[in-house]
Amino acid sequence: MSETTSGSPSPGTPSREEIRVGVYVCHCGGNISDVVDVAKVVEEVGRHPSVEVSKHFPFLCSDPGQQLILEDIRRNGVNRVVVSACSPFLHETTFRKALQRAGLNPYLYEHVNVREQVSWVHKAKRESATEKAIRLTLAGVEKVARQDPLEAIRVQAEPHVVVIGAGIAGMRAAVSAARRGLRVTLIEKSDRTGGRLNELATLYPDNESARAVVDDLTQMVVGDGNIDLCLNSRLTMVDGYVGSFTVGFETRGPEGPILRQVRAGAIILATGFRHYEPFEGELGYGQSPDVMTLPEFNRALESTPPGDLPTFGGRRVRHVAFVHCVGSRQIEGVHRPQPDGRVNDYCSRVCCTAALHSIHRLMDKHPGVRVFDVYRDIRTYGRGHEDLYEKASKRGVLFFRHTEENQPTVELQASQNGHPPHRIRVRDVLTWNEEVEIPVDLVVLATGMMPSDIGGIVQTMKLPVGSDRFLQEVHPKLRPVEVANNGVFLAGTCQGPMDAVEAVAAGEAAAVKASILLSKGVIEMDPFVARVREERCDGCALCLNECEYRGALAMAESADGRKVARVNPALCAGCGACAAVCEPRAIEVAGWSLDQFDAMVDALVSR
Amino acid sequence: MRDPDQYKILILTTNVSSYPGANTVGQARLQYSPGTSILRVPDPVMFPEEFYLNAFRKGVDGIIVMSSGSDCPYEGAYRRLSARIQRVYRRMKEEGIDKSRLKLTTICTVCKTAFLKEIAEMQENLRKLEEAAAQA
Repeated sequence: MSETTSGSPSPGTPSREEIRVGVYVCHCGGNISDVVDVAKVVEEVGRHPSVEVSKHFPFLCSDPGQQLILEDIRRNGVNRVVVSACSPFLHETTFRKALQRAGLNPYLYEHVNVREQVSWVHKAKRESATEKAIRLTLAGVEKVARQDPLEAIRVQAEPHVVVIGAGIAGMRAAVSAARRGLRVTLIEKSDRTGGRLNELATLYPDNESARAVVDDLTQMVVGDGNIDLCLNSRLTMVDGYVGSFTVGFETRGPEGPILRQVRAGAIILATGFRHYEPFEGELGYGQSPDVMTLPEFNRALESTPPGDLPTFGGRRVRHVAFVHCVGSRQIEGVHRPQPDGRVNDYCSRVCCTAALHSIHRLMDKHPGVRVFDVYRDIRTYGRGHEDLYEKASKRGVLFFRHTEENQPTVELQASQNGHPPHRIRVRDVLTWNEEVEIPVDLVVLATGMMPSDIGGIVQTMKLPVGSDRFLQEVHPKLRPVEVANNGVFLAGTCQGPMDAVEAVAAGEAAAVKASILLSKGVIEMDPFVARVREERCDGCALCLNECEYRGALAMAESADGRKVARVNPALCAGCGACAAVCEPRAIEVAGWSLDQFDAMVDALVSR
Repeated sequence: MRDPDQYKILILTTNVSSYPGANTVGQARLQYSPGTSILRVPDPVMFPEEFYLNAFRKGVDGIIVMSSGSDCPYEGAYRRLSARIQRVYRRMKEEGIDKSRLKLTTICTVCKTAFLKEIAEMQENLRKLEEAAAQA
């Protein structure tokens, strides 16, 4: 691996005595300066001995604003920069790039948030808001004054992606990655592609054939020379780091299992979901063949003989009820928890539309059937989904709505001379909390989604899992298909409930992210990972016990023959757990050192 | 007795969760005490026990650790953080620093109400401590 780690200051780095900080306070067109007295901030912070220049400007992010900073770096010897403005998430990168353009290391920069966290939240308290802005800016000066130049971490990138799971999301990810020039190994545990789509005849909202979608994608996979599709295969090991993973898997073949290993720059997880399984007796499930889950119903509907009324398991059915939210939006103390002690409190999102889609298929095939829909809320959120709801209403489907407190119940009875034997009781808010009893022949439970059982993969790869047990992205909006493990991406329902359209979009997004990551042949990563000042390290190895990332931290021999901690920056996540136990402060997260935080606290309490 | 806005409250926030949460509060123009100072970190698990005690010694009145909780992207970090905070509590007791000056909580990117509640509660804790000290 080729890498440049942050560490010893590069030649030409000013020594601490020569630190000259430029401080720039933004008006943000009044957003800040209407509340904060920016001139006072500039004046007060300008007295700090390390501050060379201190200025305010209407819009620092504008070209003239950035130019102001550039000029000070080029002509006035400024070698560290603090900008007090909006949230760093908006413009930190903008100003880092400006520093770079001026020939300064982009990490000799501190962004202080005096808009979202000062002027907008202390509107009526101008004086104390100004004091706070001064405090925070001074803390920024103290931090940047202790900042060494950092270099992005660079690792070689293998132009190869391993995709785990050949459902619709995994196949889409594989095809998209391959079309972007990457080699792809697509690992599928079963003997066929398509995953859960194989359970469906048609897809909502347009009744597209699920088989056709799976076949089309499979053709693309099989026909692409860059994709190696490995069916009957199971992941056995993952080693290495972003750009250079080693992925081991076992393929079952006629001559027994074959073990293989591939090197890959990135991994896309498309491990899918499993259906919620109602427990015995939950709304009558397991106690009568007349209570079935939606997937079971969809399967059964495939083989009903055509006719005005359907026959399920030899029994003619006239009245069918669909019950929503089974295994989703569960309430602690009301619903039975899963073996881990937690209920599924999340919404599975797709079951509302899936149930309505199935209702239409049932009514199309058997027009004489009467349908009742028992729900808490209908969430037909996607394009064209609401039409299915409206159409169901127009076709005479009767809707009953219950509250969170009053869950529906199912009472099973033996068949009574052709009358619907079973009863659903629901306190219906649509009829002002009338207690309604619905006689039915068949009950269909719209069951929710749960993540596939991938405990082994989670363990092997140390993947973050959310409280809903699905794999967890770094940020739902800012980094929606990435996990904290560098080089690992999420595609589809392994991340949370989504429908086929969304799963395909996620697969595409994951492939694009992987391709952006690997396209240059070298990966540049943020340098904010642990580093060791070897001269301070006493070799106690306490930090190793704190590190959860295998291979990120190890003991090694220093140039002068001492035992010291050493970081593999490509494997370090930068959490800083190691830093907390290092008394001599030998190990620290670059850019976030405890020395910096101590100085910041000093500045914060100074006024 | 000081104006509660003068209490120096240090808030430790995380890059992925509570710092964006504080921004959400700002975007909603919700108001809170200007005595607060927000520090952003990858994860507060990096702070040793001594960091908290030193902050109190330096004059910080209260510390709210706004972790990412179950949203934490770092393996095992929340478990380690909460164990550390328990150790800080023990050290605070030894040094006669009231436990209510430190709070570990979880704030998500959109937890506006919880964010404001934590600050209000800390201000109230500090007010009570000051009141008790004045009476003693």
